Amino acid sequence: MSDLLVELNTKPWFRQAIKSLGLPLPSPQKLRRPRGARQARPLADRTAVVCLRGDLGDTLAATLPAAGANPVLLGVDAVPAAWRDAGEAHGRPAQHLDLAAEAPEDVRADALVLDATGLSDPASIRILYDFFHAWVGRLARCGRVVVLGRPPADATTPAQAAARAALEGFARSLAKEIGRLGATAHVVYVAEGAEGRLDPLLRFLLSDRAAFLTGQPWHLTARATPPPRVEHERALAGLVALVTGAARGIGAATVALLAAEGAHVICVDRPGDEGPMSVVARDVGGTPLAVDITDPGAAAAIVGALAGRPLHILVHNAGITRDKTLARMKPEWWDQAVAVNLRAIADIDQALLAAGAFADHARIIALSSVAGIAGNFGQTNYAASKAGLVGYVRAQAEALAGRGITVNAVAPGFIETRLTAAMPPVNREVGRRLSALGQGGEPRDVAELISFLATPGASGLTGGTHRACGGMFIGA
Amino acid sequence: MATRKSSKSPRRAVVVAGARTPFVKAFSEFLKLDAIALGKATVAGLLEKTGLPRHELDGVVWGTVILPGYAPNVGREIALDLGLYDVEAFTVTRACASGLQAITTAAAAIERGDADVIIAGGSDSTSNAEIKLPQKLMHAIAPLALGKAGPAQYLQVLSQLMPITDILPKKPEIAERTTGEVMGQAAERMATRNEISRADQDAFAVRSHHRAAAAIAAGRFDDEVLTIEGTGGKRVYADTLVRASTSLEAIARLRPVFAKDGTLTAANSSPLTDGGAAVLLMSEEKARALGFTPKAAFRSWGYTAVDPADQLLMGPALAMPKALDKAGMRLADIDLVDMHEAFAAQVLSVLKMLGSDAFARARLGRDAAVGEVDPEKLNVHGGSVALGHPFGATGARMVLTMANELALTGKSTALLGICAAGGLGAAAILERV
Repeated sequence: MSDLLVELNTKPWFRQAIKSLGLPLPSPQKLRRPRGARQARPLADRTAVVCLRGDLGDTLAATLPAAGANPVLLGVDAVPAAWRDAGEAHGRPAQHLDLAAEAPEDVRADALVLDATGLSDPASIRILYDFFHAWVGRLARCGRVVVLGRPPADATTPAQAAARAALEGFARSLAKEIGRLGATAHVVYVAEGAEGRLDPLLRFLLSDRAAFLTGQPWHLTARATPPPRVEHERALAGLVALVTGAARGIGAATVALLAAEGAHVICVDRPGDEGPMSVVARDVGGTPLAVDITDPGAAAAIVGALAGRPLHILVHNAGITRDKTLARMKPEWWDQAVAVNLRAIADIDQALLAAGAFADHARIIALSSVAGIAGNFGQTNYAASKAGLVGYVRAQAEALAGRGITVNAVAPGFIETRLTAAMPPVNREVGRRLSALGQGGEPRDVAELISFLATPGASGLTGGTHRACGGMFIGA
Repeated sequence: MATRKSSKSPRRAVVVAGARTPFVKAFSEFLKLDAIALGKATVAGLLEKTGLPRHELDGVVWGTVILPGYAPNVGREIALDLGLYDVEAFTVTRACASGLQAITTAAAAIERGDADVIIAGGSDSTSNAEIKLPQKLMHAIAPLALGKAGPAQYLQVLSQLMPITDILPKKPEIAERTTGEVMGQAAERMATRNEISRADQDAFAVRSHHRAAAAIAAGRFDDEVLTIEGTGGKRVYADTLVRASTSLEAIARLRPVFAKDGTLTAANSSPLTDGGAAVLLMSEEKARALGFTPKAAFRSWGYTAVDPADQLLMGPALAMPKALDKAGMRLADIDLVDMHEAFAAQVLSVLKMLGSDAFARARLGRDAAVGEVDPEKLNVHGGSVALGHPFGATGARMVLTMANELALTGKSTALLGICAAGGLGAAAILERV
């Protein structure tokens, strides 16, 4: 489903006409999306303006030039040694500029990164204003803002906790202000000991792959045992993945991305959708498996399809809606929604764990929903099941962290799928514009987040619910 | 496997002789000579000069980049044109490393015992690059050419040929297929990214010209360069692109050619060139049996690749350490370094990488830099910026000049490095026999 307003806004004559007529029409920016699988240099030739107010400078130096970015440093008197070395190694010499001076006219920032891990009290958060006030006007279309902090919960003083927690409100608000540029903003809370896991997340958030994610806190921890190796390209080579609800939409897009990263994908959908599902499987050389996930024998069928191979990635994507206000809801509608969206997930995980089907460092990803979490009229059953997943992944993550298995939920917002295409036009139009980016997402935007969480490099994220919603007005 | 301890090697391939055409500017004296004709002239000159009995020649391995579409196996066409009907021949293409590839392929064949005597080299004629008709046009007009077409078919074909820009023949460009980046733009970005100044590039270019001019004036190339009859019967006996009189002041005035405020100019980039070069390789026993004096042998070679979107022409910074490792040598053990000069900026970038500890740690997985290259050992008789760069011939030209240099000076080892399109790198270590 194409978004007419987004397409029209790519035409200069349309933008000009709207401007001169003074029409109160939103002008969503067409988002820049990547082609193909992950590359070694996702930030090639992007300018990253980095303000250093913490102790993650060396970590950033190890990431940005290697990922292809041209760094511009603020808040330092001279280019630090780590940046000099990285610049030399990757041919990305860092420039440094005076923080107090005005941002130079000729520098356009593709990314603004603030290392705010050193903030100690409410006064210190002035750097948020100083840095971003000077540079937000230099942010390129589809640019990226990332603020790095330490978890408020780990603060040693209330004043420090306040400074740290402030970052989230700032990032969420800035996300709404820069959304019309197609630009996004995030805060990443890096727990002590998790610094080594920042690189893959930064590469992801700063790249085009995170086009439809914005206004989000990311909690990076050292809870799950890290994998022995992290590759940037073909990160899933040789791994076995399983995606439920693979026949279309987000499921099909996820299958394609996982396969592009090198995984062998077992595509699961209910027998009624075997036709489209087997096409998806055939396109990527995967294995089709027609089984209803609520069937008591579903887990056994999956173990059979694995044929002795350990399962590395499990994406619980299958979901259904049975919308009705609670007063009018029939019991079977309640049961069906909860059975598919929540019970089947817990049951299958349990059966696969009991059968020893998971590899160490496996990734389990369940599809929640922004509307489900926030609550939605006529969706008590759906929201209960989707919110249930939030608690489920949090607890399951704790239980499996020792084996390096991570468990996360992904909550899509308004995504252009068969489901939303069937909405009444006015509701659909409102749904689209109610986000910071002013548009709906594509199935592959959600698939990008899922496939990132599926990589060995995402070991720092577990137990969380991550939105792919373009910064929806409602929601968590 | 290219690595061999010379004393233990059961068979060793040795370079006994070589020859090349003068290198001339594209669209000038050699306008009418395509890659095959240039190759024929080179091999004929080499055979005549060495007096090699023709029945001793087992094969020809040829490197060409701009392959003639009508006869892409250039090596075999050369053999046929010379009446060498029973000499097997094939063609290799590895962008600007094609000439070196032809020679290392031949050396490997000799060392494996597949052949005793091979002529290997390369040639290219930028002047004869084919202007290709777009595939869309070919597909559209195929029904007219192959079937019986009526007016309706003609109309249908016409309707497929819009817009007109899709069916115009494209200007041939040295651009990367995957990134669309022209080589000069890639080198321009390397200059920026490695902080190579215009002044340094110009100084390097001037030095290349002066060294090449000095070599020509001293007659150093007389034994290497053949006299070739060019367009209109004009006899060309020396490289025509080298400028003895050039100076920093003269080339400082030139405008950048690949970017508006760039640093690469016509003077500090290698020019489009026509030419050919070849060497005669034999097994050491065969050479001695036939009474040839071996000049040099390969101690090792290595080929590498990087993502073209990274730094397209950085290949030698990876390939040269690889060849050194395979030979069990360090840069300090090397007496002569010969690098293909695609652009002064590219050579200077690679030198900087070789000298960088940070680069060595991040890209080579070793603790310390490969080392600084002594300017007095580097490209002692100039390089491609001054002499020109017929793509397929350059590697063979470098092997030829370095083999002779080892033999003439009594030095022991020479390290060769070549960058090539597609992010490829090539290197080889020659040792005096």
